[in-house]
Amino acid sequence: MQKEEKQLEQSLEGLIQRVQELKNAIQLFLLKLEHEYESLNWPSVLDNFALLSGQLNSLGRLLKNDKVPALRNHVFLPLVLSPDRDAELEKLTERRVMMFNHAVVPDYLRTKPEPEVEEKISQLTNKAGTVVQETAQKQFNNLNKITSNLLDIINSAKEEWESESNQKSSQPVTFSTADTNNLVSTILFGKSIKVTRKPDTSNTQSQGMSNQQQQQKVQSATVSKAPSAIKTQIKAASSSHPYQRP
Amino acid sequence: MDSTGAMGQVLSSKVAPVVENFLQGSVLDTSKDVLIHRLRGLCDNAENQPEIFHDHEIVFIMQGNPNQQPINFHARHSLMHPDAWHLRYLGVADIGDKNKLTLIRHCVDAGVSSNVVDFLNEMGFKIDFEFIAKGYFFHKGRMKVTVSKLYKILQPGSTDQVEPLSQSHLVELSVVAPRVQEQIGEDMKNFAEQLKPYILYKIELKLDHLQTV
Repeated sequence: MQKEEKQLEQSLEGLIQRVQELKNAIQLFLLKLEHEYESLNWPSVLDNFALLSGQLNSLGRLLKNDKVPALRNHVFLPLVLSPDRDAELEKLTERRVMMFNHAVVPDYLRTKPEPEVEEKISQLTNKAGTVVQETAQKQFNNLNKITSNLLDIINSAKEEWESESNQKSSQPVTFSTADTNNLVSTILFGKSIKVTRKPDTSNTQSQGMSNQQQQQKVQSATVSKAPSAIKTQIKAASSSHPYQRP
Repeated sequence: MDSTGAMGQVLSSKVAPVVENFLQGSVLDTSKDVLIHRLRGLCDNAENQPEIFHDHEIVFIMQGNPNQQPINFHARHSLMHPDAWHLRYLGVADIGDKNKLTLIRHCVDAGVSSNVVDFLNEMGFKIDFEFIAKGYFFHKGRMKVTVSKLYKILQPGSTDQVEPLSQSHLVELSVVAPRVQEQIGEDMKNFAEQLKPYILYKIELKLDHLQTV
């Protein structure tokens, strides 16, 4: 029992603190709106709103916290109503509430909406009840469609932005080191284009064959040349050449 | 017989004491157009369309002494003007000096007639490999810049049936000068900086490549 009371006390303290912060932020914002409305710009207004929303969020989180006991299980019971001024209350509420009397209690301890609001709500509920099921379904579908369309548009715009900013932040790849290495060794040493030959074993047959290939290459390399006696000489010369291919 | 030695003599006796300062890099095909655009702005004759080329290169090799690097010649001819042949000897790039801003190699360039292939064959050179290079040529002062796509020849001898070698264009910067000059390296480095977001310049070419191919 004691433990629970302690918890309640702690959480109440936390709540009061958060609410206090929220109140201060709202006050500051109001002050700004009243006194600096000429120099106030939209971004700073948005900043203020963001601050408020952040504080509301943290208040909400605190209420949902496991350590906070369910406040709705606690009853707030006004024991005494007095028409006299209450100095303590005045101080606590910063002169907003002077006394705890019959006039203010219904307002501050209200658990139901105001009668006018209640009436409006019941009116709307009645109206909703009279709508034909089919029409309701139709409107439902329409709303869903519009919402999903809007979502699509927003998402695609977001993706576009993100990809754009990504592109800006990362330098596009314009070269490849591996390609450089390959190309350079190609022009210098014939890497990957050199015809792989068997290691030379002074085998006359293979020698002769590759000589023939060589010959073909040479012939076709000099396409436009008219056939002449030189060609046969080359054949003779190259086949009898003393140098071995590496 | 000892042609490697002869070539060594040619170089050491400074008969053709020409060195090439060069930088190599690559750019992905998708970014090529941006690079071309930038090069047009950076190089001479910005108002003209970039010069294009379509070349067939055959590399000849002769292994003299097995203990020495084989001698190679790069015979290149334009497929747009089939009679224009060019022969080039390239020394091994000097990779020892890390302070150099560019790679440096000896080179000998010569315009030759179209029977150079026969001639090299008679000399005892063998075709090592061949490829097609197609691309753009720019120059800025004495600096030569080429952006080229390399193609593999599928059918030996047929320059029509080709297959791209990679998804990138090869980019080469080259300045040929009579001797090694620091200033050239500096200039090329500065120029390469301008292309930096688009290309990676390869400063260190490892000797390992010789073993891997």
